[in-house]
Amino acid sequence: MAKVPRSFRLLSELEHGEKGIGDGSCSYGLKDSDDIAMYEWNGTVLGPPHSAYENRIFSLSIYCGDKYPDAPPLVKFESRINLPCVNQQGLVDFARVASISQWKREFTLETVLVELRRDMASPANRKTAQPAEGTEFPPLDLAALAKQRKV
Amino acid sequence: MSLPKRILKETERLMADSPPGISAAPKDDNLRHFDVTVAGPESSPYEGGVFKLELFLPEEYPMNPPKVRFLTKIYHPNIDKLGRICLDILKDKWSPALQIRTVLLSIQALLGAPNPDDPLANDVAQNWKEDEKGAIAQAKEWTRVYAH
Repeated sequence: MAKVPRSFRLLSELEHGEKGIGDGSCSYGLKDSDDIAMYEWNGTVLGPPHSAYENRIFSLSIYCGDKYPDAPPLVKFESRINLPCVNQQGLVDFARVASISQWKREFTLETVLVELRRDMASPANRKTAQPAEGTEFPPLDLAALAKQRKV
Repeated sequence: MSLPKRILKETERLMADSPPGISAAPKDDNLRHFDVTVAGPESSPYEGGVFKLELFLPEEYPMNPPKVRFLTKIYHPNIDKLGRICLDILKDKWSPALQIRTVLLSIQALLGAPNPDDPLANDVAQNWKEDEKGAIAQAKEWTRVYAH
């Protein structure tokens, strides 16, 4: 199979995201619409129904490094959340989301957001008490972190 | 990963005998992914500039068109901020009889003939229609700043 380069892969993800994904429970787009390198993205996840996350909109920052999609993006919740895969800084630990712990090149930003939402709705997590709405994790320099982690 | 013969042939010919003002070479780690340069056509606002682009031949090529975008910032009504190009042969007017060479020549021609009536970058197109002189000056300025 032809290996789609990072740039064209991200352009097609962008177009897909602009059209809106499925039922609108997740969305994403470029943080800065003229970032030609397409590093920084915003995402949102709508808390799943019948869970402690219901009726909340979670904002996320996503950083697609030079190695994406061979390596996973860096994903950070901006909205505070209690979820085992999210650390004290808001960073998502992919190793703790079973469905995407083994990163595959076919996975997309949509996959990541949909799987995070599924993780919220899982029997183990859906009743976890949540922080006050409207609170945020402290800011984090994802670009520097990406450089450090070489992603 | 073996490449279809058609792609090998096209690559060989591009490397040996590229059209004037155009260069295209596959990357070492992905022979379907090309580094491209296009010189701005004479007597266009882009004259004197050298623009970098990237081109990718998807699995379905040549049944589907190549994917191309500008990497150099350019002020043009049919090219947006991410370098995406509005050109019919890259979309519904694609035919497998076209080649990488014809695509790059068409892109070079597009630089010589901006079409603000079929815009991709709306703000640029509007400026182009309302103040063509100003838009051309802006395109020249961006060429000077970004395409050297």
